[in-house]
Amino acid sequence: MENINDLKPQPKYWMSLEQWTQDPEFLKMAENEFLSSPLSSEDGKDGWARREFLKLMGASLALTTFGCVRRPAEKIIPYAKRPVEVVPGIPDYYASSYFDGAEGLGIVVQTREGRPIKIEGNTEHPANEGGMSARAHAHILKLYDPDRATGPLKNLQNEKKTNNQTVNITWDKLDQEVVEQLKKGKVAFLTATIASPATKELIQSFASQVGGKTYEMDEIPYEAVREGQKLSYGDDVVPQYRIDKAKYILAVNNDFIGTWLTPVAFQKMFSKTRNPDENMSKLTVVESLLSLTGSNADERFRIKPSQTLDFLMGLAYQLNNVMKVGGATANADILSALKEYAQVDARLGLKEGTIARIAEEIAHHRGESLVLSGGMTTGGKDAVAIQVVTNLINSILGNEGTTVLAGAPLNTARGSYKQVSDLMKAIKDKSVETLIIYGVNPTYALPEASGFQEALRNVPVVIYAGDRKDETGFQADYIPTVHHELENWGDLETSQGVFSLQQPTIQPLYDTRSFQDSLLAWAKGLGKKSARLGSENWHEYLKSYWKSEIYPKVSKAGTFDNFWVDSLKSGVVNLAKKDSSHRSFKAASFSTFKKRDAVPEMELVLYPTVGLRSGELANVSWMQEFPDPVTKLVWDNYFTFSIGDAKKLKLSQGRMVSVKVNGQTIEGPAHIQPGQAEGVVGLAVGYGRTRGGKVCDGVGINAFNLAQPDGDQLLTAGFKAEVTPLSKRYDLATTQGHNTMEGRQIVVEETLAQFMKKPGGQIHHPKMMTMWSEHKYPGRKWAMTIDLNKCTGCSACLTACQSENNIPTVGKKYVLQGREMHWLRIDRYYTGEPEDAGVVNQPIVCMHCDNAPCETVCPVAATTHSDEGTNDMIYNRCVGTRYCSNNCPYKVRRFNWFSYTDVKQPLNLAMNPEVTVRNRGVMEKCTFCIHRIKFEESQAKMHDRELKDGDVKTACQESCPTNAIIFGNINDPNSEVAKRFKQPMMYDLLEELNTKPSVRYHTKVRNAAQIKSHGKEEHNT
Amino acid sequence: MAKKIVGLGVVLLILGGLSALVYALSTNKVVIGYNQGYMPDQPIPFPHDLHAGKYKMDCKYCHTTTEKSRHASIPSLNICMNCHLTVKTDSPWIQKIQEAYNSGKSIAWKKVHMLPDFVKFNHAPHIKAGKQCNECHGPVETMKQVYQYQSLAMGWCVNCHRKPENNAPTNCSTCHY
Repeated sequence: MENINDLKPQPKYWMSLEQWTQDPEFLKMAENEFLSSPLSSEDGKDGWARREFLKLMGASLALTTFGCVRRPAEKIIPYAKRPVEVVPGIPDYYASSYFDGAEGLGIVVQTREGRPIKIEGNTEHPANEGGMSARAHAHILKLYDPDRATGPLKNLQNEKKTNNQTVNITWDKLDQEVVEQLKKGKVAFLTATIASPATKELIQSFASQVGGKTYEMDEIPYEAVREGQKLSYGDDVVPQYRIDKAKYILAVNNDFIGTWLTPVAFQKMFSKTRNPDENMSKLTVVESLLSLTGSNADERFRIKPSQTLDFLMGLAYQLNNVMKVGGATANADILSALKEYAQVDARLGLKEGTIARIAEEIAHHRGESLVLSGGMTTGGKDAVAIQVVTNLINSILGNEGTTVLAGAPLNTARGSYKQVSDLMKAIKDKSVETLIIYGVNPTYALPEASGFQEALRNVPVVIYAGDRKDETGFQADYIPTVHHELENWGDLETSQGVFSLQQPTIQPLYDTRSFQDSLLAWAKGLGKKSARLGSENWHEYLKSYWKSEIYPKVSKAGTFDNFWVDSLKSGVVNLAKKDSSHRSFKAASFSTFKKRDAVPEMELVLYPTVGLRSGELANVSWMQEFPDPVTKLVWDNYFTFSIGDAKKLKLSQGRMVSVKVNGQTIEGPAHIQPGQAEGVVGLAVGYGRTRGGKVCDGVGINAFNLAQPDGDQLLTAGFKAEVTPLSKRYDLATTQGHNTMEGRQIVVEETLAQFMKKPGGQIHHPKMMTMWSEHKYPGRKWAMTIDLNKCTGCSACLTACQSENNIPTVGKKYVLQGREMHWLRIDRYYTGEPEDAGVVNQPIVCMHCDNAPCETVCPVAATTHSDEGTNDMIYNRCVGTRYCSNNCPYKVRRFNWFSYTDVKQPLNLAMNPEVTVRNRGVMEKCTFCIHRIKFEESQAKMHDRELKDGDVKTACQESCPTNAIIFGNINDPNSEVAKRFKQPMMYDLLEELNTKPSVRYHTKVRNAAQIKSHGKEEHNT
Repeated sequence: MAKKIVGLGVVLLILGGLSALVYALSTNKVVIGYNQGYMPDQPIPFPHDLHAGKYKMDCKYCHTTTEKSRHASIPSLNICMNCHLTVKTDSPWIQKIQEAYNSGKSIAWKKVHMLPDFVKFNHAPHIKAGKQCNECHGPVETMKQVYQYQSLAMGWCVNCHRKPENNAPTNCSTCHY
């Protein structure tokens, strides 16, 4: 037999079997370079040959052009019965309330022809005074979320409760079946903290009528605060923290500016203390991860999360034992407990004497200081101990009754894991027949290790009052799909005595029903009528509640109907009492501390992000593309490592790591974070959802699943972690690739001392000469000042701009290419040494330069200078050369590489009709909200009045909780912006380029002895 | 040879045709894209010559939001019903309006004065400046069926804005923003 290898030389690499066997047909074919000729001579043989096709297309194109002489016909449909208050083209505003799970805000909803398009803060509400958070802006998109359930659902569960066939069900049928089930009694409620007093009463009375118990849980836990207060003072409260009355704030692993409790309110209060004068406060931050609060610190120190208690004990020792500050206790137990912490500086990696120095500084401000601690990063076994020691320090310093007010406590954070474990015990004891879940997503927010998901499978009937079949909905039997908050009545009590109403701003889009109405329907079915349960509907219930509980307390209220309408209009009823309670610290609380574990070498902590918090807005694309204020990363969560640890583990940005923690092994990308303490790994919660919707499913890692139950506590920090780098890489999408100023004068920092001596002394003004005559502004000239001192970097303005101007989201792929569309960005620069970096934030908008480099290079004059000082972008004229973006030194221009106009219904309803929706191929940028300028000018003209300062507010200005952005007419000498613009501490960005921007920045003033960046460079050049 | 002459003739014809077209376009003899004279049929043949002409009803009685907002707005049906609850109720067209009013399903009118989406025209300042509706919309009180009287081209708008006595802005962002 011939050896097959002898026949012909075999090719070494082959692409097909024919080639391997050297098939003669194949060889013949392979000789031709082209398998078929492009200039086919077989016209008509296969139908259309190429040339014929082109001829035909050319002819039809010509015909279509000339056939199209008129624009396609449009229809115009008026109202059949136009409501009196609706004027097409003029928005209507409704005051309402928003509760995000921990923070309550007063809001004003802008509606157009019966649908909400924008949410603003309510300046009348004492909690936020008009300030907003990014999430408060974004929750409007949840109303128009295409992934919402459009009607009530029923899950046909099998015995093991793993089957998931979901069917639609009518409300009548659902009510019927639920009432039958409720008749069996043994009902339990698992809800979020209910901040709405009327809803709370409704749930309580319903529960007591059907013989049930209520349990509250918070997805982001704050129970340690209450526990600590209870132990320390005997008060089960979350006190009001009056940051605005504090001259010295010490935040120990506490992100009060970013995510802790009520960040918008805290930011507002904080900003009032940041005027660079002799009353300026000092913020000292001691933390492990770099948080937004740490970004704003005047002085910052790094410790590991497990060392938080050590630090606080050390501080307490200095204040109590050593300095014997006024409110110091002589209790022997406390004195001896603190003595162990006499020398902790070295152990914490701090310079010798640091804690003593901090103690001295803070002791200068007795009664006007504040020590804050708490958050997920302190959620280890010593979470309560940390709170107790914090309370002790505040007591010693005499802050009780001045900056810590328990008499007017915050109406929030009443949930606890203890209640969840009690519920699970009740389920185990088979004393829960029906579980009704509302306002929380426990299947997602609780770890598998808690056993909750398993317990839920053992509840005979689970009713989930959510807005879609999400993680918890999947486990439920019935989903009485609820309204979005903007479709529902309600009320809110933010702190004791401060009430506001929530009113619907749109007819329900779908066949949904408010949870409260569901409860009333079921009460009706059960024949329960007492205690207002016989109310016709939730609106009537709410009115009845306000009539009996709130209206009587208001003096000079007039009739109830007048009072009701007035309350709806203004949005707030403020019955807060003045509080100056001074409580005494209970020494016994010191003996309640849990035994602590040894400090792990590498510990994992979970933390909430400013954008996603507990993930309830994960399916809102704005929040996925929201650049994290510190990391500037989008569309992912990641393990954060310090620079030192990254060097040790040989990690680079985006390298995949395998982290073994709590018996689980998770793979994820590494992010190297300057300013993070060594020996800590951070992982953000809110990601890794599986049933939230098309935007969020599968994005990121579910960090909630790493939390660890420990008796009645759910630990979120202090986990021993083993990190193994993998050889895989992962692209982390960032909106800011460059972190240094490279010696240019971009952010100017001054110490308070330097500022007081000579405001703006650190600004270097180049000698400028201009060749051409300047623009003349006979009328108005619009300008803006941004106060870097007040700006915290929270990025609420970024989302406000996105909401106002119909700015699209592009998705991770294009953010990786630098194509994000945000008109306003917050640049975050690191200063000083990378390991111990400081942070400065700078919002960048279009500068509307008087000598605009973009205007001169547009070949079609699509961007022109108006006679009011704005640089206008004319979308219809733009042909997309992108020369303007090339020329812009601030890089504020955004190009529509793709058409983002086809928005999935009903998301198009969220668009602002005043602002053009840009098509593909067109450049866009910040317009100083020209549509608002035009609108107000037109209104003022119509009503024969002058445009006053404050009539025109840009979207970013309106939403800023710290009033960092001031906008107005600089030609009006009485306007705020005119007064600020020429002040010595204001400077232009990149002044040396002679662009003459209309936006000026106020230098950042740090209340510290030294500026981090000034250590290396003498000057900011 | 003949082929070449025929070829040359065809080319000259095409070129001639094109230049004639360009000439006609540049002198507005042929208007592409503007709807001057556009007179669409409406679902209900509302006669302006009767209401605005014979009965001398003011434009702003029905087109109410002209002074308040950007849109002049087609009147909502409750404005028609102000009179037509009792007036001429035997007419099938009035009955059609009544039916639409009662059912809540409004009438879909054909828009006559169509401006492209990138133009943000605002009626209110023009009314405030004292412009009469007829100036731009023509003799509506004589129209049995509304047609677009003017071209509403940008050049036409700017010509009026440029007149110094009108004191009207001419920067781009007046209408394009």
